[in-house]
Amino acid sequence: MKILAVESSCDETAVAVVEDGRKVLADEIFSQVKLHEIYGGVVPEIAARSHLEVIVPLADRALKTAGLARRDIDAVACTYAPGLIGAVLVGVNFAKSAALALGVPLIPVHHIRGHIAANYLAFPGLEPPFVCLAISGGNTMLVDVRGYTDMRVLGQTRDDAAGECFDKSARVLGLGYPGGKPIDDLSKQGRDDAYDLPRPSVNDGNPFDMSFSGLKTAVVNLAHHAEQTGQPLDKPGLAASLCRAVSEMLVGRTMDAARMLGYPAVAVAGGVAANSRIRADFAAACQAAGRTLYVPPLRLCGDNAAMIGAQGYYEYQAGHTADSSLNAYATMEL
Amino acid sequence: MLTLALESSAKAASAAVFEEEKMLAFAIQNAGLTHSRTLLPMAEGLMRQLDLPLSRLDRVAVSRGPGSFTGLRIGMAEAKGLCWALDIPAVGVSTLEAMAWGGPVLDGQMLCCCMDARRGQLYNALFTVEGGRLVRLTPDRAISAAELQSELIARQEPWILLGDGAELCYNTLDRSQVAVFIAPEPLRLQNARGVALAALGQDPVPAGELMPAYLRLSQAERERLARMKTE
Repeated sequence: MKILAVESSCDETAVAVVEDGRKVLADEIFSQVKLHEIYGGVVPEIAARSHLEVIVPLADRALKTAGLARRDIDAVACTYAPGLIGAVLVGVNFAKSAALALGVPLIPVHHIRGHIAANYLAFPGLEPPFVCLAISGGNTMLVDVRGYTDMRVLGQTRDDAAGECFDKSARVLGLGYPGGKPIDDLSKQGRDDAYDLPRPSVNDGNPFDMSFSGLKTAVVNLAHHAEQTGQPLDKPGLAASLCRAVSEMLVGRTMDAARMLGYPAVAVAGGVAANSRIRADFAAACQAAGRTLYVPPLRLCGDNAAMIGAQGYYEYQAGHTADSSLNAYATMEL
Repeated sequence: MLTLALESSAKAASAAVFEEEKMLAFAIQNAGLTHSRTLLPMAEGLMRQLDLPLSRLDRVAVSRGPGSFTGLRIGMAEAKGLCWALDIPAVGVSTLEAMAWGGPVLDGQMLCCCMDARRGQLYNALFTVEGGRLVRLTPDRAISAAELQSELIARQEPWILLGDGAELCYNTLDRSQVAVFIAPEPLRLQNARGVALAALGQDPVPAGELMPAYLRLSQAERERLARMKTE
């Protein structure tokens, strides 16, 4: 089954063709990073405008790369939630009209489920159950993946996402936007014990819930304090200490969850999974615990449509299709 | 030539199917529901009632702006999805021109189309009618009520006001200086019928080249330009 997949939930427009949930036939992406850079973050209206401009050329390219004609498409999948509403709307309305006109099923896909499914593309042998930590600029979520479409959120951030913490820290350190990569690069030149940063925990019930706003505030305060007092700020050390703190908050909880559930497999997904400290710490922790770690290659960690096509296949198998009244949603339970 | 027309630039959404200049079917939703949920089902329903498969369509016409940014994008994204999948071209028409075509298109009539653009402005274009066809007197623009008033006075005609900005315009203009009348409600607002009629005389483009005409930058771009000006 060949699924045409569309993703437009934030600042990446993407169209892919995926066969049977596992094989990527085309994976086209237009990144808007350059459009948003000068604003220091994603501007929703600019994102939505850009999606509308590039979606048709991307769909053309996806078909061409896959070597397919329109009649070869068996279904259309799209991210319908969560995301910037104006942005998601473009992909949803394009996808549902295309599905209607092609006379094929329309499959709505939850964006975070798509991130988790990126692992199926990278690792043909991976099957549920497994524990997955989904970390991105907008989401931080620890998920019990019991089946391809049967998931339970074990815990999530109560405030900022892990990626948001990196972005905002990068801004006060003058590293620009998006902040994940420059912080990662800078951290390699610093000592991770240069600053004693807090690891906030949520003490009212769920041990898997997280909070990153306190950590972010600590970094912002350190930077402002240094600026006001004229003391030198060890930026590489602060970046390294931040990466360590974020990683420790994420890795410990994820490993606890895997132990609790007795799952041999641990997966990581989303744009923040590109962080080298987090990758290294997960590798070490999984090796020590005798569990197998799955982290997709960088290209599949960021937003893309191939992951939507992968999850779309399993949603279709589970009977999750929609009609032409499908709407887009800014927020949605996993 | 079979045309599907879509309109979702403001509060109401509508769809129409035309064979050349003859309207075969029309549907409208003006209950405040989101266009993303209602516009495509309306189009699908019209085609089904006409017993026509979507593959019979020769082109899709849609309002390209001005109007609600999100509303425009819903209609445009649907037009693009349909055209891309069917491999047929699209026609983007001015919302204000579609509005004029939906109004009293009678020879000699002067039509002033206005939408409330907020920020003290109106989206506006002026038209007249000759030989049953619209003649455009101005481009689409964002304009203050005061500027519009001096233009209308200069032309010294009785004007028919159309659009969701008609009342605002009527109340703002100095009516001792210029004769204005608000079109009756069924003729006042843009709809898919006007879009189909406006599209008749226009050359279609490939779906990838169909582009909106917002007539206004995003707030972030406007504020950035303003900051650069003051610095």
